[in-house]
Amino acid sequence: MNRIGLRSVRAHAARFIMSVLAVALGVAFVTGTFALREMLSSTFDELVNASSTADAYVRVPGESMDDLYAVGATTGGVPIAATDALAAVDGVESVIPSVTGPATLVGADGTAVRSTQAPSFVMPYYPDDPGMGTLTGRIPAGPDEVVLERHTLDSSGLAIGDTTKLVVLGHVSDVTVVGAADFDAPMAGATIVLADAATVEAAFAPTGVVSTLTVYAQDGVSEDDLVRRLAAVAPAGSEVVSGTTMREELKGQISEQLGFVSTFLLVFALLALFVGAFIIANTFAMSVRQRMREFALLRAVGASPAQAFGSIVVQAAVIGVVGSAVGILGGFGLVTGIGAVFERMDMTLSNRVPLSATTVVVGLLVGTVVSLVAAAVPARRAALVPPVEAMRDEVTVNERSLHRRGWAGLVLLVAGAASLVAAALWPDSGQSGLLLGLGATGLVVGVLVVGPVVVPAVVRTLAAPAVALLRPVGRLARGNVVRNPRRTASTAGALTIGMALVGAAAVLAASTEASVRSVVETEFHVDYVLTAQAPDTIAPEVVDEITGLPGVDGVYGLPRTTVTVAAGTESTTDGVVGLDPAMLGTVMTPQKLVGPVAEVLAGGGAVVDTLTAEARGWQIGDEITLTSATGAHDYTIGGLIRSAGLGAPVAVAPEQLDRLVPPAQQLDTTVSVVAAADVDHTALRQAITEVVAPLYVVSVQDADEFVDGLAAQVDQMLTILYALLGLSVAIAVLGIVNTLAMSVIERTREIGLLRAVGLGRLQLAGTITTESVLTAVCGTAIGLATGVAIASVFPRLFADEGMNTLAVPASSLVAMLVLAVLVGVGAAVWPAVRAARLPVLTAISTE
Amino acid sequence: MVTTPELDPVRAADALLEPIASARGLTKVHGSGEAEVHALRGIDVDLARGELTAIMGPSGSGKSTLMHCLAGLDRPTSGTVVVDGLEVSSMSERKLTKLRRTHVGFIFQAFNLVPTLTAAENITLPLDIARRPVDRARFDEVVEAVGLTDRLSHKPAELSGGQQQRVACARALVARPAVVFADEPTGNLDSHASGEVLGFLRRSVDSLDQSVVMVTHDPRAASYAHRVLFLADGLLVAELVAPTQSSVLAALANLDGYSRAGSLAGGQR
Repeated sequence: MNRIGLRSVRAHAARFIMSVLAVALGVAFVTGTFALREMLSSTFDELVNASSTADAYVRVPGESMDDLYAVGATTGGVPIAATDALAAVDGVESVIPSVTGPATLVGADGTAVRSTQAPSFVMPYYPDDPGMGTLTGRIPAGPDEVVLERHTLDSSGLAIGDTTKLVVLGHVSDVTVVGAADFDAPMAGATIVLADAATVEAAFAPTGVVSTLTVYAQDGVSEDDLVRRLAAVAPAGSEVVSGTTMREELKGQISEQLGFVSTFLLVFALLALFVGAFIIANTFAMSVRQRMREFALLRAVGASPAQAFGSIVVQAAVIGVVGSAVGILGGFGLVTGIGAVFERMDMTLSNRVPLSATTVVVGLLVGTVVSLVAAAVPARRAALVPPVEAMRDEVTVNERSLHRRGWAGLVLLVAGAASLVAAALWPDSGQSGLLLGLGATGLVVGVLVVGPVVVPAVVRTLAAPAVALLRPVGRLARGNVVRNPRRTASTAGALTIGMALVGAAAVLAASTEASVRSVVETEFHVDYVLTAQAPDTIAPEVVDEITGLPGVDGVYGLPRTTVTVAAGTESTTDGVVGLDPAMLGTVMTPQKLVGPVAEVLAGGGAVVDTLTAEARGWQIGDEITLTSATGAHDYTIGGLIRSAGLGAPVAVAPEQLDRLVPPAQQLDTTVSVVAAADVDHTALRQAITEVVAPLYVVSVQDADEFVDGLAAQVDQMLTILYALLGLSVAIAVLGIVNTLAMSVIERTREIGLLRAVGLGRLQLAGTITTESVLTAVCGTAIGLATGVAIASVFPRLFADEGMNTLAVPASSLVAMLVLAVLVGVGAAVWPAVRAARLPVLTAISTE
Repeated sequence: MVTTPELDPVRAADALLEPIASARGLTKVHGSGEAEVHALRGIDVDLARGELTAIMGPSGSGKSTLMHCLAGLDRPTSGTVVVDGLEVSSMSERKLTKLRRTHVGFIFQAFNLVPTLTAAENITLPLDIARRPVDRARFDEVVEAVGLTDRLSHKPAELSGGQQQRVACARALVARPAVVFADEPTGNLDSHASGEVLGFLRRSVDSLDQSVVMVTHDPRAASYAHRVLFLADGLLVAELVAPTQSSVLAALANLDGYSRAGSLAGGQR
């Protein structure tokens, strides 16, 4: 029996290639996800190992990785002066303060040296820092000399000896490149500038306080010994941790971040596999149906049902293994390709090829199991065929009633909808995320289960124009699509899944955009906005210069920093923003104001965000203590405020913020400019642009452009989503091609008959193309409807995050339908050509 | 075994009319080299207008191949076929497709109907394909003649075998084709249904003025024809006019006596 199964696969190889491809694609994605994660993980591991090489660290407790490239110490600090005392400890080789801050380097072509997503910063060159790598050239000896990291030098187009500009904290200065540093690990595209130590300290640690002191031990000293000795001498309020602990912490934090990304990707991988399973199930269902007579014969000569079942299972296993093998290769190829792409974008990743036994085994297992499970149902049907069917000329396949399926699907749909409604009605319960997930899954699975019941009606509606306009092709096509609702639903189901997600994503993006627009338009009234991308900041000097321009009525920044906020017994790390009371009612019209907010701010008090207050149980009159690098400061909560643009839970007047953190260390990424009533806007904009141009990282936008810019960020994320969903659509297309090809084979006699009564080859191709388009559009329409339904609860769920409008992007949805038509046409090409080429005589001859 | 045709006066006039289909020197060879099969070895035949002609012979005699060539479904290796004045053997596929819509009708042994269309839609199928309007009077005439007036909205799965064949007959005739080719139309039917279909085919020739060419192995079916042509080993070997079931049986028995060397109607090349 096994031999028959295997021979059959060889004989009908073409039939199974589609299934193999489907499995391969799904497994490639799974493997690729695992491999990518490993590659990223090892890249960052190497990065951490190379950049955190010390044996011990003296630092402020509670520091998180977010501050790794932030502007200096904020929540507290270790005085640089302690370096001497610590260096004197027995066994210490050197103590290096950790001072870094954002900087923009201008390359040879006059643009900023920057690769997307990677940081750009300046750090001091300490000659006795063992982590400095190998230096070519010389050490920077003043504020106008810098050394560049090797990759930074390469991508800047500069050479040692060239002069260029460096922008630090809003100041542009001319610098000369005097050397290049080769670090031991890939820097993943970061732009790293090494400058004279005194200059960097003055910029980013003006009060003489840093977040961490790095300690290197002499040979032969153990980390634990070192930690003990240092702890005895460490300044008050700081903690000493070993290098190993520090590295583990960093790696842990990175791994957490990577975890989200890889979970996200894994979900899509599983989606791809799920879709692939559809195709395999379909393929086997059709192939079994065609060979019913053969199975009946086998049963008639004495094969047991188990043996018939087994022969199909063997085929499924072969497809699974072959598909998985191809998929694994594909996955690794994919990741290598991604690495190469990153390489070209100047972001070098780890050189280690992420080939691990686990990944290979997982890929093989997943692909094979999916194939086996997908083939199980048709296999069962073949096993149970009565032997007498072998004698019949025409094998009847009794279509089981769709009743049970209809009811099951309906139950799922109702349950899913109920879960979504529950999530929308109680958005503040901790379960809303879970309810959303369950509801979405229930709805999608319910739609798939109830598919065969619903598809005929949907197809009839969609086919109406074709039937009316393309005679008789339209009616023939419609008849073919409707005659086997299970098969059509199964084929279209793959597209349904992908399109449901696309639909939901499109609504989410459109609603986010609309909400952002509406919030900005109601709450903000500005003429121009200056923006910078964190951790870059807009320096106070820039604000002053623009204030001095003619035609400018007012310039208001929103500088912020991070401090420790203690209220009662609880203490958390939160942001604090410097809110100028003059902004209220002019530039900013908050959603909600409780208490005399403007007076409170002007009087030196603090106001708190309404949602944060609710969450933490704070009220007007409560005392809070803000602890920063300059010490602890007490405030009384004098009012509550709710505004989407605030950016932090606590607000004080800008003068108060200066007490907490020196202005040079505050982060300001949004500065609003109000113009005078009758000013010449073209001239004013020109003037503002001239002020910020040398800074390279500050953009000028008018109100509309600002909103458009925010919308564009949302679109960017949507593109990534579309790319991932494109994979499931690709698999779905394979499914359609597969079904069509096999149904052409099944209908050979019917096609012969049609040709014999005069159906032209073009008309025949048209029939098949119309079938394909109907299937694709049906799946897409159902999927989009489901996706929009799921997304309709988003505004209720995400109201706190600022989503207040539900926007259904009709144009995007229509574009998806058009895409479905194109997909249908494309998928039909090969089957239609095959059918048209069938010689009439072969088709109508018996057997 | 040729008998002189016993002509009745009406038939005499008809016999002088041009044949509806004719073949000259028709040969068909399948395969090549050692696996060569000569399905037709040079056939000259005229099929009369306004008659039901049956083509009979043992399996492997080439009768189906002959019909396929006559109908334009297959291209002969050599020789010519003319149907209703058109040279079919040299027509392009596109022209042949057009021919099949309204000039030539087909009835097969099985799988005659498109399962997703109703009986009425199946009947008008060739006209729909040709985008020609359906002559309602003709449609009603044909439907009534096959006796399916009350089954028009049924799908083929809801019709019996005999009814399906009758729908196929109606379809073949509704466009008033020049000639109808039927390949074993009663092969799958029981005797009652066979009788109905054969009766209808004969009636269509007699009263609806059609010409029908039928391939069959059933002597009873052949007895409904005006003329029976006998093939053996790719050659036309005998002809029988005004056949009865027993005369056909006798002729078939005699066919065994013919070897490749002997032939009567049609030359040998």
